Amino acid sequence: MKKFLALFLGAALALVISGCGNTDAGSENEKIVVTTTIGQIADIVKNVGGEHVEVDGLMGPGIDPHLYQASQGDINKLSKADIIFYNGLHLEGKMGDIFAKMKKDKPTYPIAEAIPEDKLLIDPADKSAIDPHVWFNIDLWKYAVEEVRDGLIEYDPENKDEYMKNTEAYIKELEEVQAEAQQKINEIPEESRVLVTAHDAFQYFGQAYGMEVKGLQGLSTDSEYGLRDVQDLVNVLVDRNIKAVFIESSISERSINAVVEGAKEKGHDVKIGGELFSDAMGEKGTKEGTYTGMYRHNIETITTSLK
Amino acid sequence: MSYGAWIILTGSLVGVSCGIVGCFLILRKMAMLADAISHTVLLGIVLAYLVSHSLEGIYMLVGAGIIGLLTAFLVQVLDTSGVQSDAAIGVVFTSLFAFGVILLSAFAGQVHLDVNHALMGEITFIPWDTLTINGIELGPSAVWMLGIVLILNLTLIFLFYKEIKISSFDPAMATAIGIPVVFIHYLLMSMVSITTVASFDSVGAILVVAMLIVPGATAYLLTDRLLIMLLISAFIGVASAVGGYYAALAWNVSIAGSMASIAGLIFGATFILSPKHGLMGKVLARRSISAQHS
Repeated sequence: MKKFLALFLGAALALVISGCGNTDAGSENEKIVVTTTIGQIADIVKNVGGEHVEVDGLMGPGIDPHLYQASQGDINKLSKADIIFYNGLHLEGKMGDIFAKMKKDKPTYPIAEAIPEDKLLIDPADKSAIDPHVWFNIDLWKYAVEEVRDGLIEYDPENKDEYMKNTEAYIKELEEVQAEAQQKINEIPEESRVLVTAHDAFQYFGQAYGMEVKGLQGLSTDSEYGLRDVQDLVNVLVDRNIKAVFIESSISERSINAVVEGAKEKGHDVKIGGELFSDAMGEKGTKEGTYTGMYRHNIETITTSLK
Repeated sequence: MSYGAWIILTGSLVGVSCGIVGCFLILRKMAMLADAISHTVLLGIVLAYLVSHSLEGIYMLVGAGIIGLLTAFLVQVLDTSGVQSDAAIGVVFTSLFAFGVILLSAFAGQVHLDVNHALMGEITFIPWDTLTINGIELGPSAVWMLGIVLILNLTLIFLFYKEIKISSFDPAMATAIGIPVVFIHYLLMSMVSITTVASFDSVGAILVVAMLIVPGATAYLLTDRLLIMLLISAFIGVASAVGGYYAALAWNVSIAGSMASIAGLIFGATFILSPKHGLMGKVLARRSISAQHS
């Protein structure tokens, strides 16, 4: 028995040691390697960094950051990265803690935490409950863009002018999208400016354009909706003559179907207005794979079906 | 050490710890206890949040640990008072989980709180989650936590080996010769829940549930002796961790998922090939019997 034990321990040790052989060579590439979590952040880095950066997003199209599963290749993405940008405000959960710890090895930035606290949506009863889905309010997202700019400049001061210029152009593009969005939303009759979705990712969107946002599910995708949540939502739809509800690219549409059925029983026809991008963006290479493309898609979908 | 080596070491520690305590779950026909705990911890993290108003990992871990112990104790209470063990697990699991869901929607609907996020670790990121004391870096904190849990488990099993063995196989006889069977059962259940919650925090649910059940079930097919079963189970845990890491490397997939799959494959192979309890073994045994009779 002792022999068996010794053999077993020896084998385990040998395997662990053999795993130690491959040390990581730092990236020899002259481009700055940047790793981000959600696609919205990768898009900022691509635009601000331009040709000087190589961006790798951990969470691809259609992946809900709440349910993200790491793969072996992500080790490389993190270890080879020169800078890491992530959302923060607990959007990434425990991963966020790890990024914060990595700060001693390489610069990591929780870019949404650069937004002044008084502009964030904080539950008044409970200071620690901050809504992390900040990217739908462009006024706030600008702070995040500037944080990326400052991060890149600190790492690579030589190209400062270019980063400043790119940031200016990107923010200008965002402002255009914002003006466009405001104009389109103003076309919706005031009483119908209500956005009904499955999960509460659009609070900041509502805040930005004066739309009321109703989610069936709370912020967390683990919480379940109550019977009264469905009832209340159905009543709102009927009373205010809202024509459409929306589904999200990263969340199943089953829950919102219950609301549509409920309204139908009361004789009010609600259609599913289309799919909105909330936590994830569209496929790479398509228009919806960029921040502005995704934003325009959402605005288009919302306004055409609510008008 | 390289990142890969830390991940293999963490996976192996989970494999050994869970492999060993898992054997006792298999013997007591309570294999699904780990799955139950993976759900009831929701109540733990919700309560931890309501008390601490913070999403810090340490509060979540303490909350989950307490509810993990409570789950195991309640199952043991029901089991001792005559409810069948699988029914006991089912009842405790669903009631505590449901209570957690109700609390979450009633008091914490506006918080970004879910089990996946707040508690479950991800083995891929282990190497960066390091423990630093007085500025000295001591390696991943998961390795420390799992190492301490493993040492605790081994010490308890070493101290109470005979008692645990007899009360696992023959509780009636154990009671007759004066072994505190109920105490031993509670002790085992506490070991299971501490191991489970610590491993959840480090590597996430799927790997833990797999490592608690599959190595033990495999070892059960290969031997009838407890000590050998524990050793085989621990070895299969390590083999799955190592094999799973390299499989994940080859196909660029989830490391935890790949380790759990390798454990499943080892079980499948053993189920077919095991000389004693496997399919092949049974066919051969039947043949030799009919050969003798003809």
